[in-house]
Amino acid sequence: MIEQVTIEGIIRILFVCVIITAAYIISTRNLLSVVSVYALQSLTLVCIALALYFLEGSVVLLAIAGVTFISKVIIIPYFIATIQEKIRIKRDIEFHYLSPTTSLLISMILMLVIYMALSRIVVGSPSRENLFFFGAVLGISLMLMGMMVTFSRKRAITKVLGFLSMENGVLLFGMFVTELPFIIEFLIIIDLIILVILTTILSVGIDSTLEDYHKRLHRFHLLDDSEEVI
Amino acid sequence: MNFDFVLYLVINTAIILAISPLFVSLIKKVKAWTQGRSGPSVFQTYFTLIKLLKKEVIYSPNSSRIMRVTPLVTLAAILVAALFVPLVFVPEPIGGIGNIILFLYLLALARFFMALAGLDAGSCFGGMGSSREMSISSIIEPTTIIVFAALAFVFKSLNIFDMFFLTAASGSPATPTLILIGISLFIILIVETSRIPVDNPETHLELTMIHEGMILEQSGRNLALMELSSAVKMTVLMALLINLIVPFGIATTLTFAGILIAVIAFMIKCSVLAGVIGLFESSMAKKRFFQLPSLFAMAFFFSTLIIIIEVFS
Repeated sequence: MIEQVTIEGIIRILFVCVIITAAYIISTRNLLSVVSVYALQSLTLVCIALALYFLEGSVVLLAIAGVTFISKVIIIPYFIATIQEKIRIKRDIEFHYLSPTTSLLISMILMLVIYMALSRIVVGSPSRENLFFFGAVLGISLMLMGMMVTFSRKRAITKVLGFLSMENGVLLFGMFVTELPFIIEFLIIIDLIILVILTTILSVGIDSTLEDYHKRLHRFHLLDDSEEVI
Repeated sequence: MNFDFVLYLVINTAIILAISPLFVSLIKKVKAWTQGRSGPSVFQTYFTLIKLLKKEVIYSPNSSRIMRVTPLVTLAAILVAALFVPLVFVPEPIGGIGNIILFLYLLALARFFMALAGLDAGSCFGGMGSSREMSISSIIEPTTIIVFAALAFVFKSLNIFDMFFLTAASGSPATPTLILIGISLFIILIVETSRIPVDNPETHLELTMIHEGMILEQSGRNLALMELSSAVKMTVLMALLINLIVPFGIATTLTFAGILIAVIAFMIKCSVLAGVIGLFESSMAKKRFFQLPSLFAMAFFFSTLIIIIEVFS
Protein backbone atom coordinates (compact mmCIF):
# COMPACT_ATOMS: atom_id res chain seq x y z
CA MET A 1 0.00 0.00 0.00
CA ILE A 2 1.31 3.43 -0.83
CA GLU A 3 1.69 5.92 1.97
CA GLN A 4 -1.03 8.45 2.51
CA VAL A 5 1.33 11.41 2.41
CA THR A 6 2.66 10.39 -0.99
CA ILE A 7 -0.85 10.13 -2.40
CA GLU A 8 -1.73 13.55 -1.04
CA GLY A 9 1.41 14.93 -2.68
CA ILE A 10 0.42 13.35 -5.96
CA ILE A 11 -3.08 14.81 -5.70
CA ARG A 12 -1.62 18.25 -5.10
CA ILE A 13 0.56 17.95 -8.20
CA LEU A 14 -2.51 16.85 -10.17
CA PHE A 15 -4.33 19.96 -8.89
CA VAL A 16 -1.56 22.02 -10.42
CA CYS A 17 -2.08 20.20 -13.72
CA VAL A 18 -5.79 21.04 -13.57
CA ILE A 19 -5.01 24.73 -12.99
CA ILE A 20 -2.54 24.79 -15.87
CA THR A 21 -4.95 23.16 -18.30
CA ALA A 22 -7.77 25.48 -17.22
CA ALA A 23 -5.57 28.52 -17.75
CA TYR A 24 -4.58 27.19 -21.16
CA ILE A 25 -8.16 26.57 -22.24
CA ILE A 26 -9.19 30.05 -21.17
CA SER A 27 -6.36 31.85 -22.93
CA THR A 28 -5.48 29.98 -26.09
CA ARG A 29 -6.53 30.86 -29.59
CA ASN A 30 -5.51 27.61 -31.16
CA LEU A 31 -8.57 25.39 -31.50
CA LEU A 32 -6.78 22.18 -32.32
CA SER A 33 -4.84 22.16 -29.08
CA VAL A 34 -7.88 23.08 -26.96
CA VAL A 35 -9.41 19.68 -27.59
CA SER A 36 -6.28 17.79 -26.65
CA VAL A 37 -5.83 19.95 -23.57
CA TYR A 38 -9.42 19.21 -22.61
CA ALA A 39 -8.70 15.51 -22.97
CA LEU A 40 -5.62 16.01 -20.81
CA GLN A 41 -7.69 17.76 -18.16
CA SER A 42 -10.15 14.91 -18.10
CA LEU A 43 -7.27 12.47 -17.84
CA THR A 44 -5.98 14.41 -14.84
CA LEU A 45 -9.40 14.06 -13.24
CA VAL A 46 -9.28 10.33 -13.88
CA CYS A 47 -5.90 10.22 -12.12
CA ILE A 48 -7.29 12.23 -9.19
CA ALA A 49 -10.23 9.82 -8.90
CA LEU A 50 -7.82 6.87 -8.88
CA ALA A 51 -5.61 8.52 -6.26
CA LEU A 52 -8.68 9.22 -4.12
CA TYR A 53 -9.66 5.58 -4.47
CA PHE A 54 -6.33 4.58 -2.96
CA LEU A 55 -6.91 7.09 -0.19
CA GLU A 56 -10.52 6.21 0.63
CA GLY A 57 -11.19 2.89 -0.98
CA SER A 58 -14.75 3.53 -2.14
CA VAL A 59 -15.53 1.66 -5.31
CA VAL A 60 -17.70 4.43 -6.74
CA LEU A 61 -14.54 6.41 -7.39
CA LEU A 62 -13.20 3.60 -9.56
CA ALA A 63 -16.45 3.57 -11.52
CA ILE A 64 -16.30 7.35 -11.94
CA ALA A 65 -12.72 7.07 -13.17
CA GLY A 66 -13.71 4.40 -15.67
CA VAL A 67 -16.72 6.23 -17.03
CA THR A 68 -14.82 9.53 -17.22
CA PHE A 69 -11.97 7.89 -19.04
CA ILE A 70 -14.14 6.28 -21.66
CA SER A 71 -16.42 9.24 -22.25
CA LYS A 72 -14.31 12.34 -21.70
CA VAL A 73 -10.86 11.18 -22.65
CA ILE A 74 -11.79 9.07 -25.66
CA ILE A 75 -15.30 9.55 -27.06
CA ILE A 76 -15.99 13.29 -26.68
CA PRO A 77 -12.54 14.55 -27.80
CA TYR A 78 -12.78 12.15 -30.73
CA PHE A 79 -16.16 13.56 -31.74
CA ILE A 80 -15.02 17.15 -31.47
CA ALA A 81 -11.82 16.48 -33.36
CA THR A 82 -13.89 14.94 -36.12
CA ILE A 83 -16.15 17.99 -36.31
CA GLN A 84 -13.13 20.23 -36.47
CA GLU A 85 -11.68 18.31 -39.33
CA LYS A 86 -14.94 18.68 -41.23
CA ILE A 87 -15.50 22.38 -40.67
CA ARG A 88 -11.84 23.25 -40.77
CA ILE A 89 -11.76 26.06 -38.25
CA LYS A 90 -8.24 26.28 -36.95
CA ARG A 91 -8.23 29.39 -34.85
CA ASP A 92 -10.71 31.11 -32.59
CA ILE A 93 -9.91 34.77 -32.53
CA GLU A 94 -13.27 36.36 -31.94
CA PHE A 95 -14.30 37.18 -28.41
CA HIS A 96 -17.32 38.68 -26.70
CA TYR A 97 -16.87 41.10 -23.81
CA LEU A 98 -13.57 39.71 -22.55
CA SER A 99 -10.20 39.11 -24.12
CA PRO A 100 -8.27 36.02 -22.97
CA THR A 101 -5.91 38.11 -20.87
CA THR A 102 -8.74 39.84 -19.06
CA SER A 103 -10.55 36.60 -18.43
CA LEU A 104 -7.37 35.12 -16.98
CA LEU A 105 -7.10 38.04 -14.59
CA ILE A 106 -10.77 37.84 -13.69
CA SER A 107 -10.54 34.12 -13.03
CA MET A 108 -7.75 34.91 -10.58
CA ILE A 109 -10.06 37.22 -8.65
CA LEU A 110 -12.81 34.61 -8.85
CA MET A 111 -10.55 32.02 -7.27
CA LEU A 112 -9.70 34.40 -4.47
CA VAL A 113 -13.37 35.15 -3.82
CA ILE A 114 -14.31 31.46 -3.86
CA TYR A 115 -11.43 30.68 -1.53
CA MET A 116 -12.55 33.27 0.97
CA ALA A 117 -16.22 32.35 0.66
CA LEU A 118 -15.60 28.65 1.11
CA SER A 119 -13.24 29.13 4.01
CA ARG A 120 -16.16 30.63 5.92
CA ILE A 121 -18.36 27.64 5.21
CA VAL A 122 -15.94 24.74 5.46
CA VAL A 123 -14.01 24.66 8.69
CA GLY A 124 -11.04 22.37 8.49
CA SER A 125 -7.70 22.36 10.19
CA PRO A 126 -5.75 19.13 9.51
CA SER A 127 -3.92 18.66 6.23
CA ARG A 128 -6.38 16.07 4.99
CA GLU A 129 -9.26 18.50 5.38
CA ASN A 130 -7.07 21.09 3.71
CA LEU A 131 -6.65 18.88 0.65
CA PHE A 132 -10.38 18.41 0.33
CA PHE A 133 -10.94 22.12 0.78
CA PHE A 134 -8.55 22.87 -2.08
CA GLY A 135 -10.34 20.34 -4.24
CA ALA A 136 -13.62 22.14 -3.59
CA VAL A 137 -12.16 25.56 -4.36
CA LEU A 138 -10.58 24.26 -7.54
CA GLY A 139 -13.80 22.55 -8.58
CA ILE A 140 -15.91 25.69 -8.30
CA SER A 141 -13.23 27.83 -9.91
CA LEU A 142 -12.97 25.41 -12.82
CA MET A 143 -16.73 25.63 -13.17
CA LEU A 144 -16.71 29.41 -13.30
CA MET A 145 -13.71 29.50 -15.60
CA GLY A 146 -15.55 27.16 -17.95
CA MET A 147 -18.50 29.50 -17.80
CA MET A 148 -16.27 32.38 -18.71
CA VAL A 149 -15.00 30.47 -21.74
CA THR A 150 -18.61 29.77 -22.70
CA PHE A 151 -19.70 33.37 -22.74
CA SER A 152 -16.53 35.01 -24.00
CA ARG A 153 -16.02 32.97 -27.14
CA LYS A 154 -18.02 33.36 -30.30
CA ARG A 155 -17.52 30.01 -31.96
CA ALA A 156 -20.03 27.34 -31.03
CA ILE A 157 -17.33 24.73 -30.78
CA THR A 158 -15.33 26.59 -28.14
CA LYS A 159 -18.51 27.35 -26.25
CA VAL A 160 -19.11 23.64 -26.01
CA LEU A 161 -15.57 23.08 -24.81
CA GLY A 162 -16.13 25.67 -22.12
CA PHE A 163 -19.27 23.86 -21.08
CA LEU A 164 -17.39 20.58 -20.98
CA SER A 165 -14.70 22.03 -18.79
CA MET A 166 -17.46 23.41 -16.54
CA GLU A 167 -18.69 19.87 -16.12
CA ASN A 168 -15.17 18.81 -15.19
CA GLY A 169 -15.38 21.34 -12.39
CA VAL A 170 -18.63 19.83 -11.17
CA LEU A 171 -17.03 16.41 -11.20
CA LEU A 172 -14.03 17.67 -9.24
CA PHE A 173 -16.25 19.36 -6.68
CA GLY A 174 -18.37 16.24 -6.41
CA MET A 175 -15.35 14.03 -5.83
CA PHE A 176 -14.02 16.15 -3.00
CA VAL A 177 -16.99 17.51 -1.15
CA THR A 178 -20.25 15.71 -1.65
CA GLU A 179 -20.77 12.10 -2.48
CA LEU A 180 -22.33 12.60 -5.87
CA PRO A 181 -24.49 9.53 -6.59
CA PHE A 182 -22.99 7.56 -9.41
CA ILE A 183 -26.23 7.51 -11.35
CA ILE A 184 -26.26 11.31 -11.55
CA GLU A 185 -22.66 11.36 -12.72
CA PHE A 186 -23.58 8.83 -15.37
CA LEU A 187 -26.59 10.86 -16.50
CA ILE A 188 -24.48 13.99 -16.77
CA ILE A 189 -22.07 12.19 -19.01
CA ILE A 190 -24.85 10.94 -21.25
CA ASP A 191 -26.08 14.53 -21.42
CA LEU A 192 -22.62 15.64 -22.46
CA ILE A 193 -22.42 13.12 -25.24
CA ILE A 194 -25.81 14.21 -26.56
CA LEU A 195 -24.65 17.82 -26.31
CA VAL A 196 -21.58 17.07 -28.38
CA ILE A 197 -23.67 15.31 -31.00
CA LEU A 198 -25.96 18.33 -31.09
CA THR A 199 -22.95 20.56 -31.58
CA THR A 200 -22.16 18.72 -34.75
CA ILE A 201 -25.50 19.91 -36.00
CA LEU A 202 -25.24 23.40 -34.49
CA SER A 203 -21.82 24.17 -35.82
CA VAL A 204 -22.78 23.26 -39.35
CA GLY A 205 -26.04 25.19 -39.35
CA ILE A 206 -29.07 25.37 -37.13
CA ASP A 207 -30.91 27.89 -39.25
CA SER A 208 -31.78 25.48 -42.01
CA THR A 209 -34.49 22.96 -42.75
CA LEU A 210 -33.58 19.33 -42.63
CA GLU A 211 -33.20 19.01 -46.41
CA ASP A 212 -31.17 22.13 -46.58
CA TYR A 213 -29.05 20.95 -43.69
CA HIS A 214 -28.42 17.70 -45.47
CA LYS A 215 -27.23 19.62 -48.49
CA ARG A 216 -24.94 21.74 -46.37
CA LEU A 217 -23.41 18.67 -44.82
CA HIS A 218 -22.74 17.40 -48.29
CA ARG A 219 -21.16 20.65 -49.26
CA PHE A 220 -18.78 20.51 -46.36
CA HIS A 221 -17.83 17.00 -47.22
CA LEU A 222 -17.47 17.26 -50.92
CA LEU A 223 -16.74 20.78 -52.11
CA ASP A 224 -14.00 21.43 -49.63
CA ASP A 225 -12.11 24.13 -51.42
CA SER A 226 -15.04 26.46 -52.16
CA GLU A 227 -16.43 26.57 -48.63
CA GLU A 228 -13.75 28.02 -46.46
CA VAL A 229 -15.09 28.72 -42.98
CA ILE A 230 -12.65 30.66 -40.87
CA MET B 1 34.61 38.18 4.17
CA ASN B 2 35.97 34.70 4.64
CA PHE B 3 38.05 32.51 2.39
CA ASP B 4 35.15 30.31 1.32
CA PHE B 5 33.26 33.28 0.01
CA VAL B 6 36.20 34.61 -2.00
CA LEU B 7 36.63 31.18 -3.49
CA TYR B 8 32.92 31.13 -4.30
CA LEU B 9 33.22 34.42 -6.16
CA VAL B 10 36.09 33.08 -8.25
CA ILE B 11 34.51 29.69 -8.96
CA ASN B 12 31.10 31.06 -9.85
CA THR B 13 32.42 33.72 -12.22
CA ALA B 14 34.88 31.36 -13.88
CA ILE B 15 32.29 28.66 -14.43
CA ILE B 16 29.64 30.96 -15.79
CA LEU B 17 32.06 32.64 -18.21
CA ALA B 18 33.33 29.27 -19.35
CA ILE B 19 30.05 27.49 -19.93
CA SER B 20 27.51 30.10 -20.93
CA PRO B 21 28.42 30.28 -24.65
CA LEU B 22 28.01 26.52 -24.83
CA PHE B 23 24.29 26.64 -24.05
CA VAL B 24 23.64 29.33 -26.65
CA SER B 25 25.07 27.06 -29.32
CA LEU B 26 23.31 24.05 -27.83
CA ILE B 27 19.90 25.71 -28.28
CA LYS B 28 20.84 26.56 -31.86
CA LYS B 29 21.89 22.96 -32.42
CA VAL B 30 18.61 21.58 -31.08
CA LYS B 31 16.66 23.99 -33.26
CA ALA B 32 18.72 22.94 -36.28
CA TRP B 33 18.01 19.28 -35.54
CA THR B 34 14.28 19.86 -35.37
CA GLN B 35 14.50 21.57 -38.76
CA GLY B 36 16.43 18.63 -40.19
CA ARG B 37 19.71 20.48 -40.52
CA SER B 38 22.92 19.42 -38.86
CA GLY B 39 23.55 22.92 -37.54
CA PRO B 40 26.73 24.63 -36.38
CA SER B 41 29.12 22.99 -33.94
CA VAL B 42 28.25 23.33 -30.26
CA PHE B 43 31.45 25.34 -29.82
CA GLN B 44 30.53 27.83 -32.52
CA THR B 45 29.75 30.64 -30.06
CA TYR B 46 33.26 30.37 -28.61
CA PHE B 47 34.76 30.67 -32.10
CA THR B 48 32.58 33.67 -32.87
CA LEU B 49 33.56 35.38 -29.65
CA ILE B 50 37.28 34.78 -30.28
CA LYS B 51 36.94 36.07 -33.83
CA LEU B 52 35.11 39.18 -32.67
CA LEU B 53 37.69 39.88 -29.95
CA LYS B 54 40.40 40.08 -32.61
CA LYS B 55 38.54 42.61 -34.76
CA GLU B 56 38.81 46.36 -34.45
CA VAL B 57 36.00 48.47 -33.02
CA ILE B 58 34.30 51.00 -35.26
CA TYR B 59 32.16 53.75 -33.78
CA SER B 60 29.59 55.74 -35.64
CA PRO B 61 30.62 59.45 -35.87
CA ASN B 62 27.35 60.36 -34.17
CA SER B 63 27.93 58.19 -31.16
CA SER B 64 28.90 59.52 -27.77
CA ARG B 65 30.62 58.14 -24.71
CA ILE B 66 27.60 55.95 -23.91
CA MET B 67 28.42 53.72 -26.85
CA ARG B 68 31.92 53.19 -25.48
CA VAL B 69 30.99 52.33 -21.91
CA THR B 70 27.85 50.30 -22.58
CA PRO B 71 29.50 46.93 -23.30
CA LEU B 72 31.56 47.20 -20.14
CA VAL B 73 28.66 48.34 -17.96
CA THR B 74 26.38 45.65 -19.33
CA LEU B 75 28.84 42.85 -18.82
CA ALA B 76 29.80 44.12 -15.37
CA ALA B 77 26.19 44.43 -14.22
CA ILE B 78 25.32 40.98 -15.47
CA LEU B 79 28.43 39.38 -13.99
CA VAL B 80 27.58 40.90 -10.61
CA ALA B 81 24.03 39.61 -11.02
CA ALA B 82 25.54 36.21 -11.80
CA LEU B 83 27.20 36.23 -8.38
CA PHE B 84 23.73 36.33 -6.85
CA VAL B 85 22.79 32.97 -8.31
CA PRO B 86 25.09 30.21 -7.11
CA LEU B 87 25.62 27.69 -9.88
CA VAL B 88 27.35 24.81 -8.15
CA PHE B 89 28.20 25.86 -4.60
CA VAL B 90 26.07 27.77 -2.07
CA PRO B 91 28.08 29.61 0.60
CA GLU B 92 26.76 31.66 3.50
CA PRO B 93 25.52 34.95 2.02
CA ILE B 94 27.51 38.05 2.92
CA GLY B 95 26.22 41.59 2.81
CA GLY B 96 23.59 42.32 0.22
CA ILE B 97 24.72 39.56 -2.10
CA GLY B 98 21.85 37.30 -3.08
CA ASN B 99 19.15 39.88 -2.53
CA ILE B 100 16.43 39.22 -5.05
CA ILE B 101 15.43 42.85 -5.59
CA LEU B 102 19.00 43.94 -6.21
CA PHE B 103 19.32 41.04 -8.63
CA LEU B 104 16.34 42.25 -10.65
CA TYR B 105 17.59 45.81 -10.77
CA LEU B 106 21.08 44.79 -11.87
CA LEU B 107 19.45 43.08 -14.83
CA ALA B 108 17.38 46.24 -15.39
CA LEU B 109 20.55 48.37 -15.29
CA ALA B 110 22.14 46.27 -18.01
CA ARG B 111 19.00 46.54 -20.08
CA PHE B 112 18.81 50.29 -19.57
CA PHE B 113 22.32 50.83 -20.87
CA MET B 114 21.70 48.51 -23.77
CA ALA B 115 18.65 50.55 -24.77
CA LEU B 116 20.61 53.81 -24.45
CA ALA B 117 23.34 52.46 -26.70
CA GLY B 118 20.73 51.46 -29.23
CA LEU B 119 19.55 55.06 -29.39
CA ASP B 120 23.03 56.53 -29.17
CA ALA B 121 24.35 55.57 -32.58
CA GLY B 122 21.51 57.42 -34.27
CA SER B 123 20.50 54.56 -36.55
CA CYS B 124 16.77 54.03 -36.86
CA PHE B 125 16.95 50.30 -36.27
CA GLY B 126 18.65 50.79 -32.95
CA GLY B 127 16.00 53.25 -31.88
CA MET B 128 13.21 50.88 -32.89
CA GLY B 129 14.87 48.04 -31.01
CA SER B 130 15.25 50.17 -27.91
CA SER B 131 11.68 51.37 -28.00
CA ARG B 132 10.34 47.83 -28.35
CA GLU B 133 12.62 46.51 -25.65
CA MET B 134 11.48 49.20 -23.26
CA SER B 135 7.79 48.61 -23.98
CA ILE B 136 8.21 44.89 -23.41
CA SER B 137 10.23 45.37 -20.28
CA SER B 138 7.70 47.77 -18.82
CA ILE B 139 5.01 45.14 -19.37
CA ILE B 140 7.06 42.25 -18.05
CA GLU B 141 8.34 44.13 -15.02
CA PRO B 142 5.19 43.74 -12.85
CA THR B 143 5.03 40.07 -13.77
CA THR B 144 8.67 39.56 -12.85
CA ILE B 145 8.17 41.30 -9.54
CA ILE B 146 5.11 39.18 -8.77
CA VAL B 147 6.94 35.97 -9.65
CA PHE B 148 9.85 36.86 -7.40
CA ALA B 149 7.43 37.96 -4.70
CA ALA B 150 5.82 34.54 -4.93
CA LEU B 151 9.28 33.00 -4.53
CA ALA B 152 9.87 35.15 -1.47
CA PHE B 153 6.50 34.12 -0.01
CA VAL B 154 7.18 30.43 -0.56
CA PHE B 155 10.66 30.48 0.96
CA LYS B 156 10.01 33.24 3.50
CA SER B 157 13.22 34.96 2.44
CA LEU B 158 14.40 37.61 0.04
CA ASN B 159 17.76 36.02 -0.45
CA ILE B 160 18.44 33.63 -3.32
CA PHE B 161 21.13 31.86 -1.30
CA ASP B 162 18.64 31.02 1.44
CA MET B 163 16.19 29.68 -1.12
CA PHE B 164 18.84 27.44 -2.63
CA PHE B 165 19.80 26.25 0.84
CA LEU B 166 16.21 25.26 1.53
CA THR B 167 15.67 23.44 -1.75
CA ALA B 168 19.06 21.73 -1.54
CA ALA B 169 18.36 20.65 2.05
CA SER B 170 14.91 19.28 1.29
CA GLY B 171 16.31 17.58 -1.82
CA SER B 172 12.83 16.44 -2.78
CA PRO B 173 11.56 16.80 -6.31
CA ALA B 174 9.40 19.79 -7.00
CA THR B 175 6.41 20.53 -4.83
CA PRO B 176 3.20 21.78 -6.49
CA THR B 177 3.91 25.43 -5.76
CA LEU B 178 7.39 25.07 -7.21
CA ILE B 179 5.97 23.61 -10.42
CA LEU B 180 3.81 26.70 -10.86
CA ILE B 181 6.75 28.95 -10.07
CA GLY B 182 8.85 26.94 -12.52
CA ILE B 183 6.40 27.69 -15.33
CA SER B 184 6.39 31.39 -14.48
CA LEU B 185 10.19 31.47 -14.33
CA PHE B 186 10.36 29.69 -17.67
CA ILE B 187 8.19 32.38 -19.25
CA ILE B 188 10.38 35.07 -17.70
CA LEU B 189 13.48 33.29 -18.98
CA ILE B 190 12.05 33.31 -22.49
CA VAL B 191 11.11 36.99 -22.34
CA GLU B 192 14.25 38.26 -20.64
CA THR B 193 16.58 36.50 -23.06
CA SER B 194 14.54 37.62 -26.10
CA ARG B 195 13.71 34.18 -27.37
CA ILE B 196 11.07 33.07 -29.79
CA PRO B 197 7.50 33.94 -28.94
CA VAL B 198 8.81 37.40 -28.03
CA ASP B 199 11.80 38.03 -30.25
CA ASN B 200 13.73 35.95 -32.74
CA PRO B 201 17.42 35.91 -31.86
CA GLU B 202 18.41 34.67 -35.31
CA THR B 203 16.95 37.30 -37.55
CA HIS B 204 18.12 40.72 -38.57
CA LEU B 205 14.85 41.59 -40.22
CA GLU B 206 13.92 45.17 -39.41
CA LEU B 207 10.30 44.38 -38.62
CA THR B 208 10.95 41.87 -35.91
CA MET B 209 14.27 42.39 -34.23
CA ILE B 210 14.37 43.70 -30.69
CA HIS B 211 17.54 42.61 -28.98
CA GLU B 212 19.52 42.36 -32.20
CA GLY B 213 18.34 45.82 -33.19
CA MET B 214 19.91 47.39 -30.14
CA ILE B 215 23.32 45.84 -30.65
CA LEU B 216 23.34 46.34 -34.40
CA GLU B 217 25.81 49.22 -34.19
CA GLN B 218 28.26 47.39 -31.96
CA SER B 219 31.33 45.92 -33.55
CA GLY B 220 34.48 44.01 -32.76
CA ARG B 221 35.44 43.62 -29.14
CA ASN B 222 32.36 45.49 -27.94
CA LEU B 223 30.05 43.17 -29.84
CA ALA B 224 31.83 40.20 -28.29
CA LEU B 225 31.19 41.65 -24.81
CA MET B 226 27.52 42.20 -25.62
CA GLU B 227 27.11 38.66 -26.96
CA LEU B 228 28.89 37.27 -23.93
CA SER B 229 26.73 39.24 -21.54
CA SER B 230 23.50 38.01 -23.13
CA ALA B 231 24.83 34.44 -22.96
CA VAL B 232 25.72 34.90 -19.28
CA LYS B 233 22.30 36.38 -18.57
CA MET B 234 20.58 33.40 -20.11
CA THR B 235 22.68 30.93 -18.12
CA VAL B 236 22.04 32.81 -14.87
CA LEU B 237 18.28 32.67 -15.37
CA MET B 238 18.51 29.01 -16.36
CA ALA B 239 20.54 28.32 -13.22
CA LEU B 240 17.92 30.06 -11.10
CA LEU B 241 15.20 27.85 -12.55
CA ILE B 242 17.26 24.66 -12.30
CA ASN B 243 18.55 25.12 -8.78
CA LEU B 244 15.08 25.89 -7.48
CA ILE B 245 13.19 23.10 -9.18
CA VAL B 246 15.73 20.26 -9.42
CA PRO B 247 18.41 21.01 -6.83
CA PHE B 248 20.08 17.58 -6.91
CA GLY B 249 23.84 17.60 -6.70
CA ILE B 250 24.37 21.22 -5.69
CA ALA B 251 27.20 21.54 -3.14
CA THR B 252 26.63 23.30 0.18
CA THR B 253 30.07 22.61 1.62
CA LEU B 254 33.33 23.39 -0.11
CA THR B 255 35.05 20.18 -1.16
CA PHE B 256 36.74 19.47 -4.43
CA ALA B 257 34.75 16.30 -5.12
CA GLY B 258 31.49 17.98 -4.20
CA ILE B 259 32.14 20.86 -6.59
CA LEU B 260 33.13 18.48 -9.36
CA ILE B 261 29.92 16.48 -8.97
CA ALA B 262 27.92 19.69 -8.80
CA VAL B 263 29.49 20.99 -12.02
CA ILE B 264 28.75 17.76 -13.86
CA ALA B 265 25.18 17.64 -12.52
CA PHE B 266 24.66 21.28 -13.42
CA MET B 267 25.98 20.75 -16.96
CA ILE B 268 23.61 17.84 -17.50
CA LYS B 269 20.57 19.64 -16.09
CA CYS B 270 21.35 22.81 -18.00
CA SER B 271 21.80 20.89 -21.27
CA VAL B 272 18.40 19.28 -20.75
CA LEU B 273 16.85 22.69 -20.13
CA ALA B 274 18.57 24.09 -23.21
CA GLY B 275 17.07 21.21 -25.18
CA VAL B 276 13.65 22.02 -23.77
CA ILE B 277 14.04 25.67 -24.75
CA GLY B 278 15.14 24.64 -28.24
CA LEU B 279 12.11 22.38 -28.67
CA PHE B 280 9.79 25.01 -27.23
CA GLU B 281 11.09 27.56 -29.70
CA SER B 282 10.81 25.18 -32.62
CA SER B 283 7.21 24.40 -31.78
CA MET B 284 6.11 28.03 -31.66
CA ALA B 285 5.87 30.92 -34.03
CA LYS B 286 6.79 34.43 -33.02
CA LYS B 287 3.82 36.16 -31.44
CA ARG B 288 2.46 39.44 -32.60
CA PHE B 289 3.75 42.29 -30.50
CA PHE B 290 0.35 43.20 -29.07
CA GLN B 291 -0.45 39.61 -28.18
CA LEU B 292 2.54 39.33 -25.88
CA PRO B 293 0.66 40.41 -22.72
CA SER B 294 -1.33 37.17 -22.86
CA LEU B 295 1.95 35.28 -22.40
CA PHE B 296 2.90 37.40 -19.43
CA ALA B 297 -0.61 37.12 -18.00
CA MET B 298 -0.07 33.39 -17.69
CA ALA B 299 3.02 33.88 -15.52
CA PHE B 300 1.20 36.57 -13.57
CA PHE B 301 -1.78 34.29 -13.02
CA PHE B 302 0.28 31.39 -11.70
CA SER B 303 2.39 33.45 -9.36
CA THR B 304 -0.55 35.38 -7.96
CA LEU B 305 -2.22 32.06 -7.33
CA ILE B 306 0.82 30.96 -5.33
CA ILE B 307 0.71 34.13 -3.29
CA ILE B 308 -2.98 33.62 -2.60
CA ILE B 309 -2.35 30.04 -1.49
CA GLU B 310 0.62 31.01 0.63
CA VAL B 311 -1.13 33.93 2.29
CA PHE B 312 -4.43 32.28 3.08
CA SER B 313 -3.43 28.75 4.00
